[in-house]
Amino acid sequence: MSLSLNDILFYFLAGVAVLSALGVILQSNPIYCALSLALTMVSVAGLFASLSAWFVAGVQLIVYAGAVLVLFVMVLMLFDTKAEKRAFSKGIVSGFFKIASAAMIFAIAGGAASMSGDARFSKLTGIASATQSTKDLADLLFKKYLFSFEAMGALLLFIAIGAVALSRIQGGTHAD
Amino acid sequence: MGKDVFEITVNILKMFVIFLMMVQAVPILVWLERRGSAFIQNRLGPNRVGPLGLLQLAADAVKFLFKEEFVPRQGVRFMYFFAPIMAMIPGALSFASLPLSVPIKIEPFQMLGQMWGPYTFAFQGYDLGIGIVFVLGISSLGVYSLLMAGWGSSNKYSLMGAVRASAQAISYELALSLSLVGILIVYGTFSFNEIVAAQTGPLTFRAFGAEHVISWLPNWGVFYQPLGALLFFSATFAEANRLPFDLPEAEGELVAGFHTEYAGFKLLMFFIGEYGHMMVASALLATFYLGGYNIPGVMPDDVLAFWQSAVGGNLASILTAVTFHLSLLLRIAILLWIFIQVRWTLPRFRYDQLMNLGWKSMLPWALFNVCVTALWVWFGHK
Repeated sequence: MSLSLNDILFYFLAGVAVLSALGVILQSNPIYCALSLALTMVSVAGLFASLSAWFVAGVQLIVYAGAVLVLFVMVLMLFDTKAEKRAFSKGIVSGFFKIASAAMIFAIAGGAASMSGDARFSKLTGIASATQSTKDLADLLFKKYLFSFEAMGALLLFIAIGAVALSRIQGGTHAD
Repeated sequence: MGKDVFEITVNILKMFVIFLMMVQAVPILVWLERRGSAFIQNRLGPNRVGPLGLLQLAADAVKFLFKEEFVPRQGVRFMYFFAPIMAMIPGALSFASLPLSVPIKIEPFQMLGQMWGPYTFAFQGYDLGIGIVFVLGISSLGVYSLLMAGWGSSNKYSLMGAVRASAQAISYELALSLSLVGILIVYGTFSFNEIVAAQTGPLTFRAFGAEHVISWLPNWGVFYQPLGALLFFSATFAEANRLPFDLPEAEGELVAGFHTEYAGFKLLMFFIGEYGHMMVASALLATFYLGGYNIPGVMPDDVLAFWQSAVGGNLASILTAVTFHLSLLLRIAILLWIFIQVRWTLPRFRYDQLMNLGWKSMLPWALFNVCVTALWVWFGHK
């Protein structure tokens, strides 16, 4: 079996992604979990780049690795998480939730895999340039899938409003 | 990488040279910062070691290298050591992706009894085609260096500095990215090379159904995007953690912020990261808004023709690239001096002022800039 440079790159990035994703769930300190997740995001961005999806790779870096996870790490550093760590690493109730959520995720992943049995992945060829492929992506997002794209945005906005409302009802973290 | 040994060797050497260019500029900038601040404050600054105090840099380097290796006992060793390395990565990667001059065209030549060439060497580390998005993505990873330094040092001042730094970086990244959207709309490309190529010649724009040419102004981005340039320049100060945005290391409140526990060469690596950020910011500003490496009123072919008449051959192409490189370096040097001048002129913001400026003033103005640019381009091209 001969490996090309692209194959080596793929196995390296995929290995880092899987290992750091395991680190997210196996470590007990939430800060290390968040940093591992950041590493996962960076290696997934590398995978996108190796598929010539330059724009998606860049956005993955800017949005997930650069903004969302920085916020995670910052908030985790601000809080004293000793009590939460204890509550989540012991007890029957939390054990039940862990098993239940793991089962749900495996069911979703298994269902997706069984339904996409016929799909064949192939690398896109003949992409004109990074700018052109981004224009194609924008055409799809803002013409063909405009409704679902905007609905997704509205959904995220509702979630943000809901989170703010919930934290205000129960006194939240900003006690006043 | 290249077709044959010569091209691959040159391309690899190019990467090293561009990285070393960034690292080597740091001692000079430190000297400039100390001497400049001294003259701004009516002092002399370091003037004893060597002519004009220039050898102070060498003395500093020796001191940094021979300092005791110190790790806080309660600290996290991996994060403590990784943070300074992480501080240098974003600056180095971003700087290597910027076009620093016109490409060098080498005609076929004979060496070691063999014919080589022809080659075209781009005067940049690598051309990704996705330039702007790549630089924004990579430089947004710089915050992890400060977060790791803050957490790994196990010191409350370091931690507070790190938390402030990340909040500040996220807030100003929005304004920074949105101010660049205007440039994206105007030029319609992500590639640095295409943006620079679009800024040659006199100022030309379409308005009210006719094309206007102002022959005494260069075709620079700053004339299309004055507000965007201002917002971008201000946001880069925050991204580089320079005064008046140096809350992460506010000496009066936090000892030295995220690098309180660092000494010796590891501290120097943080400095290289900070100055690297400044250089990338200056180079980006020059590329987007000040015409890149173009010389106003002169086309690249004219310079090439001049050097060909003077020396001729492959040397002419190299000298043309050097000429345009100097033109970019001049802009970078002026912008870096503005960075230094601002640091020693303005006082630091209070934290609430910083957040108000970022979220309530710069972000709305950046959005306004995007809308106005989009409308202008829409009606201008109709």
